[in-house]
Parts: sequence; structure tokens; C-alpha cells
Amino acid sequence: MFIDIAHASEITGKTAEAAAETGVLASLGINSTLFIFQLINFALVALILWFLILKPLTKKMSERQKMIDDSIENARKIETNLGMSEKKYQEKIDQAKVDANKVLEKAQAEALQNAELLKEKTRKEIEQLVEQARKNIKTERDQSLDEIKEQTANLIVAAAEKILGTKIDAAADNKIIDEAVKSLK
Amino acid sequence: MELHIPTLAPEVLFHIGKLPVTNTIINTWLAIVFFLILGFIIRSNIKLKPGKTQNFLEYFLEKLFVYFDQVTGDRKKTMRFLPITGSIFFFILLSNWLGLLPGTGSITVGESPLLRPANTDLNLTVAMALVSVVSSHLFGLFTVGIFTHLNKFIQIGTFVKSLTKGPVAIFTAVVELVVGVIEIISEMAKVLSLSLRLFGNIFAGEVLISVISSIAAALVPAPFMLLELLVGLIQASVFTMLTLVYLTVMTTKPHGQKH
Repeated sequence: MFIDIAHASEITGKTAEAAAETGVLASLGINSTLFIFQLINFALVALILWFLILKPLTKKMSERQKMIDDSIENARKIETNLGMSEKKYQEKIDQAKVDANKVLEKAQAEALQNAELLKEKTRKEIEQLVEQARKNIKTERDQSLDEIKEQTANLIVAAAEKILGTKIDAAADNKIIDEAVKSLK
Repeated sequence: MELHIPTLAPEVLFHIGKLPVTNTIINTWLAIVFFLILGFIIRSNIKLKPGKTQNFLEYFLEKLFVYFDQVTGDRKKTMRFLPITGSIFFFILLSNWLGLLPGTGSITVGESPLLRPANTDLNLTVAMALVSVVSSHLFGLFTVGIFTHLNKFIQIGTFVKSLTKGPVAIFTAVVELVVGVIEIISEMAKVLSLSLRLFGNIFAGEVLISVISSIAAALVPAPFMLLELLVGLIQASVFTMLTLVYLTVMTTKPHGQKH
């Protein structure tokens, strides 16, 4: 063990001597050829890592993120549209109710107006009928009166003819009158 | 058991042409192969409705984004910086954890170990730190504009404007010029601190595991290896968060500038 450590210290000593001889950079292993070689190696690693691993992964991650964002945005839009549709539907329903009420009110008003018109017309017709009936009644009454007058005149003439044709006492007078009346019936 | 303390410089295993291949590069290639396989699996199975693997990765990314957002303050900025920060985080994390694979340090090619954690190579940590700092400046240039960005370091515009405002304004402008120079030095220090911090932590962990393994090969290193798992995650987070801070600061307009 101690021999090994002594060997190691010997190597370290040799390294220090080499450093003194060839310069600090060379003792540290810095070598222009190796440096360029390692630079190319690192560039190669960077290219492989970026183009084969990191870029495809980050691209897919951003695609997924975009898809999620779009889906959320679409869901929000659908929700908003649904809300607006419901609002429009409600507005149309309300408008329809208002329109229906207006139609009903108008129909009621028209019905009332029509009823009034019909009532007025009927009243006028009734009045005309009543007037016509009155006229008819009056005409008939006048006719009746004229007939009665005529009959009465005829009766009086007939009665006068009888009276003048025979001697009339009180009893005969009454009898003639009664007969005349009976004959009128 | 032989005590093998890793050297500061990675060991060269073989050459491809004139290019040296070190054991840290082998670990880097392992990470590349792992990411390549994972990448093809993900690309072929990716769906809008995720499977278990995709779900786990997305969950992990989402959690990571929350931390990133705390620094940037904006998810858009987080996504803009992700090619840099994401690559840095996952690569450092995997490289650190790959260093705990059985065989790391013990399988040898000649006298050198075949596998060694990639971040125990300063070349790699400096390369990543440079990418981090340079990209922060490039982002800054394109976001706030060339003049505004450069004026953070070389405040000549402020100095010229101060010439008509009297001696106090000129003195302030001179001080700001000096502060600009200090800012330039601090930008260099960023590269140093980022690279050395990561290298130091992971290298120290590797040395610790090597020493502990040489004392007792079984059971005893386990808690330290668990600790190294945590260190690997923490170091990946620290490097990434600092990069994110640099990027955020550089893409923010300085005080007094209106949008």
C-alpha cells in the first residue's frame, strides 16, 4: 500500500517536472488537436441532442400544449355561444309572448268593436222592425176604425130605415136595436 | 492492489491517421452513441399521446424548464437558449455518470485505462466553456445590437458623449472605460472558472474513487460512487445554470437603455 502511494507520489513528481519542462497548459493536458477534436465531438453531441431528442420532444410538447389551449378556448367559445343562444332563445320566447299578448289584445279589441257594431246594427234593425210594426198596427187600426165607422154608418142607416119603415114603440125599438146588434156579431 | 492515480492529461490510446484518440474521447463517443440510439428511438416513437419513455423524458424536461425559467424569467427565452443549455446539461450529466460504469479505470489498453470520464479532460471542458461564453456573446450581439453589446465592454460611445458634459462626466466615462477592460478580463475568467470547476470536481471524484477502490475494492467505494452520482448532477446543473445566466445577462439591455 505504502509502496503504491510512493509510486503515485513519484508519478505526481514526474508530472510536475513535465509541467516545468513543457509548460502549464501541456501538463494539464491542453492540446490544440485534442481541443479541436473535443470541440467537434461536443458540436456533434449538441446537434444530435437538439435535432434528435430535444427539438422533437419540445415540438410535440408545444403541439400538445397548443391543442389543450385550443380545446379550452373552443370549450369557452362553445359555452359563450350556448349562453348567447339561450339568451337569444329566451329573448325570442319573451318577444313571442309579447307579440301573442298584443295579438290577443288586438283580437279582443276587434271582437269588442265588432260586438258593439253588431249590437248597434241589431238595435237599429230592431228599431226599424218596431217602427214598421207600429206603422202596420197603426195602418190596421186605422183600417179597422174606418171599417167600424163604415159598418156603424151602415148600421145606423139600416136602423134608420127600419125605424122609419115601422111604428116603433119602446119595446119594439129595443127589440130592433138588439136584432141589429146581433146581426153585427 | 495497484494504486492508479489518473494523470491530469488524458492518455492517448491510439491514433487515427495523425489524430490522437484518448480514453476521454472514447467516453465522449460512448455518450454520442447513447444519444444517437436514444434520439432514433424517440424520433421513431414520438406521439402526441406519449408512451412511458416519452412521458418520462417530457416530465424531466418540464421540471428542468421550471429551473431554467427561474433564471431567464421567460419561457420563450428558455426555449431560445435550449439548444445550448440542453445539450450542455445532458451531455455533462451523461458523461459524468458514464464515468461510474464498471470498467472505467480498470480495463486497460497497454498501461492506460480504456475508459475515463470525459470531463476529466480539460480540452473538453474548455471547449464547452468556450461554446457557452462565445454563444452568450453571439446571442447578445443579435439581441441587443452590436453597438449596445460592445459598449458593455468598450465604452467609447459613453466617453465621446461625456466630452460635452463637463469634467465630472469625463471622469465617470474614464472610470467606465477601465470597468470595461475589467469586464473583458472577467469574460476570460468565465471560461477558466467554468472549465476548471467542472474538470476539478470530476477529476477529484475520479481520483477519490481510484484511491478508495485501491484500499477496498468492494462495498467501501459504493457510498462514494453514490456521492459521485450526485456530484455529476450538481456539476451539470452548475455549468448549465451559469451558461444560462451568461446568456440571460448578455441578451438583456443595460440599465438606462430603453426598449
